[in-house]
Amino acid sequence: MDIDIGFVAITAVTLACIYGTLAIGVSITWSSLGLINMSYGFTFATSGYGAWLVSEYISSSGPVVILGGILTGALVGVLVCAVAFIPIHDKPNFTVRGLIASLALSLIGTQALLYFFGPQSKTLPPLFGDWELELGEVVLTADKGGAILTSILMLTLALWWMRSSRRGLEIRAMMMNPHAASLVGIGVRRTGFYVMALTGGLAGLASVLLSQTYFVSPFSGVTPLIKGLSVALCGGLGSVGGAMIAAVMIGVNEALTADILGGQYILITQFLLIILVLIIRPRGIAGILDKQREA
Amino acid sequence: MAFNGGSAVSERREILNINGLSAGWGPMRVIHDLDLVVYAGERIGIVGLNGHGKSTLFSAIAGMTDWQRGSIKLNGKEVGGTRSQGPGRYTHLVVRQGLALMPQGDEIFTGLTVEEHLDSGAFTPAAWRDRKARKEKILEIFPPLRKLMSTPVGRLSGGERRMVSLGRGLMSDASLLLVDEPSLGLAPKIGKGVMKALMEIQLGNSAMIIAEQNMALLEGQVDRVIGMHVGKLKGEASTSLAHESRREV
Repeated sequence: MDIDIGFVAITAVTLACIYGTLAIGVSITWSSLGLINMSYGFTFATSGYGAWLVSEYISSSGPVVILGGILTGALVGVLVCAVAFIPIHDKPNFTVRGLIASLALSLIGTQALLYFFGPQSKTLPPLFGDWELELGEVVLTADKGGAILTSILMLTLALWWMRSSRRGLEIRAMMMNPHAASLVGIGVRRTGFYVMALTGGLAGLASVLLSQTYFVSPFSGVTPLIKGLSVALCGGLGSVGGAMIAAVMIGVNEALTADILGGQYILITQFLLIILVLIIRPRGIAGILDKQREA
Repeated sequence: MAFNGGSAVSERREILNINGLSAGWGPMRVIHDLDLVVYAGERIGIVGLNGHGKSTLFSAIAGMTDWQRGSIKLNGKEVGGTRSQGPGRYTHLVVRQGLALMPQGDEIFTGLTVEEHLDSGAFTPAAWRDRKARKEKILEIFPPLRKLMSTPVGRLSGGERRMVSLGRGLMSDASLLLVDEPSLGLAPKIGKGVMKALMEIQLGNSAMIIAEQNMALLEGQVDRVIGMHVGKLKGEASTSLAHESRREV
């Protein structure tokens, strides 16, 4: 059996970038707000439509469409925050209530998308032009190269913002100890909006990038939600580094499985891998979940 | 900076005025109809056994108990009132009104560095602008922190963490400093050092309340000592008086 190592490597890196973007969003939301955001898939799908609307009615140039997707994602994030976080975040048993509220929002939202846009899938124009880069025997196509570059750039920007700005410090403080965060004067609700806008924007970015390979449809958010959640879990909820490592693992696994066994086995090997990781390290790769939420 | 004024306060300005405060956790009522007035420039010790409501009183002032009722006026502005849910929802507003609570068990952010910690203490807009000067002040109070500025706080020892936690509280422009058991869990020598640093802080127009179980650590160093017993304040004495009566027993 011969494996096309170059192709597998590029596919793996592309997928790792996209899944990493999603998983970091899930991870940040969980650790700072304590919310398992089940409407992440809805955010994802809506951003796809937002980008599609932009490409239809405003401009089909790459950066504009990407920006449209990110902005739609951030807007939906703010909506989710207002509906599924603000009213219930300081009520008892918030974790389960938040999960159910965001799931409900996701179901309603998906049906609304179906109602407004119909079941037919939409395609986005190619965002990164039409070029190819030959690296030895490997060919890097425009959509993959663009996806890798854009997601690395945006993730670096987001993480740099969290490292260096005052709002970023607020979010990180809340990720580590929400109780102490309010003691130093950080408003949980306002920070909630920042967090949800940031993670929503990341979902929007992932959506636009993935739509270069798949179609935009009302239900296109389901698989990314599952993958984002499981990658975040595998990396250890609450850890950005862990999510990146897990995203690379899952990406390599997906590319290898598609090449060796065929695409229909991807979910099987993926979840076997995640189960294996969680058996060896029950708290995920970086494993700081319990320590984080103790307070 | 508030604690840098140093001059004696001529008029007795009320910093904190608590009237008929009751508060508790879940079905349990911990604070029973409590009154307390604190004036600017005062350093007050609250002594009492474990579980008699010292920490709950502080939490109630910060709006972090499960429920509470009664009036709490901070700098003349009402921050209390009746509340049956949402612990911590308005805490950040109370903090911006001029409260700094240095909680029991430090409540640090394990992954942030010492410097980021001190920054996070300066979240009131005025404090954020001159945070560099403030950090210098804190380093003068707690010199051992100087060479730890870029170390994550999770790696520090208990005494160093206490310094970080207190330093974070001192960073903001607070007019009321609530310090909950500053010597708890520290070796006696380090505990005394922390206490000494707290006593040396110039209060100026602000006030400080220290909750402590160990009366001996407060003796002769605070303006008043108030006893706390099953959720009520019991008796009040200047420290010299408290000192004498303790010797008589």
